[in-house]
Amino acid sequence: MMRPRVMRPGRWIGIAVIAGIAAIAVAAPVLAPRDPYRSGIDMLVLPSATHFLGTDDLGRDVLSRVIYGARASLAIGLGAALVAMLIGVPIGLLAGTLRGRIDVALVALIDLFIALPGLVLALIFTAMVGANLRNLILVLGVVMWPPIARLVRGQALALRETVFVEAARATGGTQLWIIRRHVWPGVLPVVAAQFSISVSFAIFTSASLSFLGLGIPPPAADWGGMVRAGYDYLAINPAMSLAPGAAVSLTVMGFYVIGASFK
Amino acid sequence: MQSVPMGRRQALAGLTGALLAGGTAQAATPTRGGTLNVGLDNDAKTYDPIFSVQFTERHVLYLVFDTLVRYGPDFSIRPELATSWETLSDGKCIVFTLQEDVTFQDGTKFDAAAVKWNIDQRMDKTVNSPQRQLLEPIVASVDVIDPLHVAFNLIAPSPVLFSLLGERPGFMVSPAAWKQRGPEFASQPVGTGAFVLKQWTRGSQVVLERNPTYWQAGLPYLDRIVVHDLAGSVIGVQRLLTGEVDYVGELTPTDIRPIESRAGITLKPIKVGRWYFSQWHVDSAPFDNAKLRQAFAHAIDRDRLNEITMRGQGSVSDGPTPKGLWWYDPTVKSAPYDPAHAKALLAEAGYPNGFEYELSTPQVTVFQQINQLLQEQLGAVGIKLRLQPVASSEWYARVVAGTTNLTPTRWTQRADPDGLLYILFHSKGFANTMKYKNDRVDSLLDQARTIYDVPTRQRLYGEAQRLIVSDLPMVPLIFGAEYAALRATVGGFEWIPDEIPRFRELWKTVG
Repeated sequence: MMRPRVMRPGRWIGIAVIAGIAAIAVAAPVLAPRDPYRSGIDMLVLPSATHFLGTDDLGRDVLSRVIYGARASLAIGLGAALVAMLIGVPIGLLAGTLRGRIDVALVALIDLFIALPGLVLALIFTAMVGANLRNLILVLGVVMWPPIARLVRGQALALRETVFVEAARATGGTQLWIIRRHVWPGVLPVVAAQFSISVSFAIFTSASLSFLGLGIPPPAADWGGMVRAGYDYLAINPAMSLAPGAAVSLTVMGFYVIGASFK
Repeated sequence: MQSVPMGRRQALAGLTGALLAGGTAQAATPTRGGTLNVGLDNDAKTYDPIFSVQFTERHVLYLVFDTLVRYGPDFSIRPELATSWETLSDGKCIVFTLQEDVTFQDGTKFDAAAVKWNIDQRMDKTVNSPQRQLLEPIVASVDVIDPLHVAFNLIAPSPVLFSLLGERPGFMVSPAAWKQRGPEFASQPVGTGAFVLKQWTRGSQVVLERNPTYWQAGLPYLDRIVVHDLAGSVIGVQRLLTGEVDYVGELTPTDIRPIESRAGITLKPIKVGRWYFSQWHVDSAPFDNAKLRQAFAHAIDRDRLNEITMRGQGSVSDGPTPKGLWWYDPTVKSAPYDPAHAKALLAEAGYPNGFEYELSTPQVTVFQQINQLLQEQLGAVGIKLRLQPVASSEWYARVVAGTTNLTPTRWTQRADPDGLLYILFHSKGFANTMKYKNDRVDSLLDQARTIYDVPTRQRLYGEAQRLIVSDLPMVPLIFGAEYAALRATVGGFEWIPDEIPRFRELWKTVG
């Protein structure tokens, strides 16, 4: 019998990509050739030896801004996915294990959130609380928890009916002990996969919000915001939009591949 | 270009050359016929001049309607439907002589009674025209003397009246059509103008056709003008390059980079740029602190703002008025860039450890650029600004409501100094969102709006502007650069400093 976990090269590619981006984020001050916030009077120059990706409309070095942009993207992606897990996993576990009226109420709540598209919900919340790094992490976390809760609940429901859980219950194990000892280890792979996919969704959604003008406010080096700002200058320095756009795609795909490899 | 006999072309080009000062490579010979396709980010709500508010509405209004007087390229006042005028009773009455044999597009006659009806309509409270607030402080009544003479009785002498009659209050509407069409008039307007509005498809296009009975002999040259709705200048420039449109306006110095040296495209820079400044509420903390305001002013490098946001094509602003307008005064000087002095002033203002504030940032590219540069420059002296994005559609309403404080703003120049200086800096000015009040400035502005003598007005406006600039109810930043781009087959284009393009007298050669 083959063990699928070993035979998925995609995961290792994904992990390599994300490790690389994480290293860039951590080492940004060392790697960036210039101050990403320093304006200059050579605006929108094409990629050259002095500016590998050219400059933006305010004469700032695009490469340096893309490098620094990794920090905001990873912070938002990981932060929001963590918030979503902290809300979604306990709710899913409780609903799936306890059943009864609590389950009905929680499922109704989950369905209510899922009925609205994530981006629209994120738009509304961000417009209400104002865009900054902390708010974006919280908003995206709140938008992303329902699918996680539903997934965990489904997994917990299945585990609940297994012989070993029934046996644990029969021997007088408390609900909390059963969840911790038997249900949680069973849902862990699903949670890990969903975490990674949530990170990619959060990065993608925050880039979309930035594109719509509801991301981290300027002058922050933020990939989504940079794609938007460069849109007006595609005919002059296309790298201003394409480079951060490629960075978003690569990161989103990296996390998604990791997540998908668990299934 | 089609083959045109060169000798004749050049001869005619020589004749009209004087009219085209500043024009490069434009089609020089007026030619009859053709359709002009205009690309415009159109937010028109009505084409009834009596209710017009939006800037872009006037692009079409100047085609369908004529004004009593018109602006020259230097904001001088020139005859249009009024051929001449005379000032009586110490300046409190102006009698206009009207152009003979003018009919509205519905065939009714344009005469003194129509002029009176037009002004009465705008001043009538029950009609509720937005122009009432402009006319009410100036005009007491309008009297018909005979069909070709009409008298404006003024509350006090007012040079401002002429500038008003060259824009919205001066568009002469057909009284018969207005009464008959009611609300439909907004989409089926009737004036005396060179073009008749045939069809307005909201969100798509406005089709205008030549008025065959136009009173100015030989005009217009074009058969048809179609104003196409555009979403943004990037798309506008592309459509210009493919030839889908012949005109695109409101282009920034950066927008024009891809078309700067293209054959077949003519660029027309505006002569008098929009005025950009950064404003705040001067009547309350923290910006009632004069030292704090001075610290801001000295920390801002206006040259660099111009270099980066306008590619150096605009100019530094030392006050509300740019060079080239008669009320420009070279002795009006804003605080020079001096970061060390700014730091010292900040400490004197009571902020030795720095100052933090929120800067409203409308989602308009140039404002976003200016704000990011301001943040960088002010940050260098210890003033930390957080950029607060505001949807561009909400922004001005918030400025008026006073829910924003520190924000960049821009205004286009008006044909009379009173137009901008009074509304912005008089304590009763309706656009004084800085809550600025200086009694001396109020009295200078009150006085200057009732005097016809230009040198006297220059002196009064000079003093007022010096006071305003030293009081700093705002920090003057720059005068913008802006361009219109036209296909080279289009001729006759000339900018008026109000930045509304006039298409009426353009022509198009086959190309």
